[in-house]
Amino acid sequence: MLKVLDFFNYARSKSPWIVHFCSGCCSLEMLAAMGPRYDWERYGYVMTPTPRQADIIFITGLVSKKILPALLRTYAQMPEPRYVVAIGACAYDGGPYNESPSVIKNMTEILPADIFVAGCPPRPEAIIAGLEELKEKIRRGEPSASSQGGLWKQMKF
Amino acid sequence: MERLKKILQGFETEYIEEYKSQWLKVKLKKSTDLIPVIEKLIEEGVKTCSTISPTDFIEENRIEVNYFLEDLTNKRNVWLKVDLPRELEECKIDSITSIMPSADWHELEAYSTFGVKFEGHPNLRYFLISADYYGKFPFRKDFDWETHEKNLIKNVNAISQEFFDEYRENETQIGHKESKTVLHWGPTHPASGPIRLKVYTNGEVIEKVEPDIGYVWRALEKLAEFKDFIGTIVAVERVCFMDNTNPMICYAQAVEEIAGKEITPFAKYMRVILGELGRSASHLVSLGGFFGTMGLHTLMMWCLDVREYYLDALEDYSGARIATASIEPGGVRYPMPDNWFKSLRKAIQKFETTREEIEEIFIKNPLMESRAKGNGVFTLNDVEKYYLAGPIARASGAKIDIRLDEPYAAYGDMDMDYVTCSNGDVRDRLLIIFKELEQSADLIKQAMAKIEEGIEKGEMNPKKDHLIRMPRRMPAGEAISRVEWARGEMLIHLVTMPKSTQPYRLKIKAPSFNHTMVLNKLLSQKTLSDIPLLYGSMHICQGDLDR
Repeated sequence: MLKVLDFFNYARSKSPWIVHFCSGCCSLEMLAAMGPRYDWERYGYVMTPTPRQADIIFITGLVSKKILPALLRTYAQMPEPRYVVAIGACAYDGGPYNESPSVIKNMTEILPADIFVAGCPPRPEAIIAGLEELKEKIRRGEPSASSQGGLWKQMKF
Repeated sequence: MERLKKILQGFETEYIEEYKSQWLKVKLKKSTDLIPVIEKLIEEGVKTCSTISPTDFIEENRIEVNYFLEDLTNKRNVWLKVDLPRELEECKIDSITSIMPSADWHELEAYSTFGVKFEGHPNLRYFLISADYYGKFPFRKDFDWETHEKNLIKNVNAISQEFFDEYRENETQIGHKESKTVLHWGPTHPASGPIRLKVYTNGEVIEKVEPDIGYVWRALEKLAEFKDFIGTIVAVERVCFMDNTNPMICYAQAVEEIAGKEITPFAKYMRVILGELGRSASHLVSLGGFFGTMGLHTLMMWCLDVREYYLDALEDYSGARIATASIEPGGVRYPMPDNWFKSLRKAIQKFETTREEIEEIFIKNPLMESRAKGNGVFTLNDVEKYYLAGPIARASGAKIDIRLDEPYAAYGDMDMDYVTCSNGDVRDRLLIIFKELEQSADLIKQAMAKIEEGIEKGEMNPKKDHLIRMPRRMPAGEAISRVEWARGEMLIHLVTMPKSTQPYRLKIKAPSFNHTMVLNKLLSQKTLSDIPLLYGSMHICQGDLDR
């Protein structure tokens, strides 16, 4: 039985699907990573428009207060196991918008991320490198960080 | 200009000044005069409201409302100021939306952020700001951010509650009579980006569209007040990353004007090159994105490939691909790298080799034409009425281009002309983007030739001329600056206090705001399948929509 589950994780790690959700400027570098020069489909990443088929959700940089309910709703609709990748300085502490009143500064406290990619915005190579690390985590079958805690469970969305 | 002056002299004013070559700066004594003044101005041809920018002078206990009114055909503009008391009950003025429809959302924004009540507005409501700021007017100087920030979960729950109330209202109010329903397009739709269109439909036919914006509202204008003059660049360039150089040019010009400094010719030409690089990178995404919304992703890939070469050129100059921070008050940030022109030429060459294929396969594509031709037409009258700017206006045949109307940087020396189309439909809005890409490549070539000539003659030093010294503390002043951004006119209104190190007030007017405002007019009576096509043709970026 253990072997079968291992095989599931192995298969899952080979082609993670990513839900199409953008909340900030880093999505432009995601676009570049999709494009011909960096081409993340080589590694098996595919964008999907619906959260119900997705394994990964991106926190693309800044998350304003108004889009947070939509982000959490999208996350809640994904099937388990679901992983969160936070890219860009804003996802960590607000980055350049740290003083801004309408941006969430503790995004990773609300929705803990499995991988954080630094940069403002991070380069496409860095995004792909971060995703490759996540693949390892998926293959090992580790539970995702967001399933273990986070302020999102106290929020209405 | 003289005629405008004469009209304004008929009212009680504190002063009437000429400002720059095309502006009249006027301060009205009585706020009740506003409607008669604007009615007279409309008769004279000043039909468009660019933006409305209140400034909160807390020490003098007044809120100054600035109206930027433009005459798009004769290129003469009026900057109208009115003082209002600061108290919430008395801070009100007549709405001009009924006579100038382009002011509609700008009034809502001023109301939500500053609490200026526009009496007679057809639907005065909170707008742009998120639900936890309702009734608190967050851009006023005495609003306490820190206390507000303390209760994050309560604030987010307030925002969620607004959504729940709205869903419930949809269920009960509309019911399921006939086949009427409300659909939400976005914010998770792949083509939409962070915006939500509430689409009221009857069967497949759209009855009306209500855009719900504010999903990427970062309060950049307020953020600038916490940063110094150099740090503000970080806020300004993040208006939209697709074209991030032109907003910096706009901001830098406003600061230079207040400081009374003139930059070197070399820096001016560098600004032209950097500005056109940003514009090209943005247009390539728009061009590919348009076909992407139609379901064809090949052109998207081709365009992204070309765009990488433009980004390479930006990276060679500044070290960053899209967040370049390459322009600052006083010139451009870095000296010119030795072999920079080589990477510029490579980018242009890449564009020119793919240009013909793009044109043959996509721009002249009969399938695209059958869907886009004659669809979603804007007439010249609409352009003036709603102030459509940039490529959208030029697709309708309007001769509007700030680079030519009010030349900045070195655009005055460039050999260029208005790029226009005539029909104003979806196809023309695509075609104009393609034509402008060619124009940008041409402008970069011209600017490179001028710099090379200057270096040869010994007039320019690419290692030293890039930046002049700017004072650390700015004098008191007020300036507006306009540039032609990738998506249209960008206007920055900057106010400083004596010996200040920080902006006192920064207002950014960005074109997507108006372009989203007309979506209702554009989409009414169309079918649901037209939404991505028509929305994609407006080249809207949520970054500059919300700021």
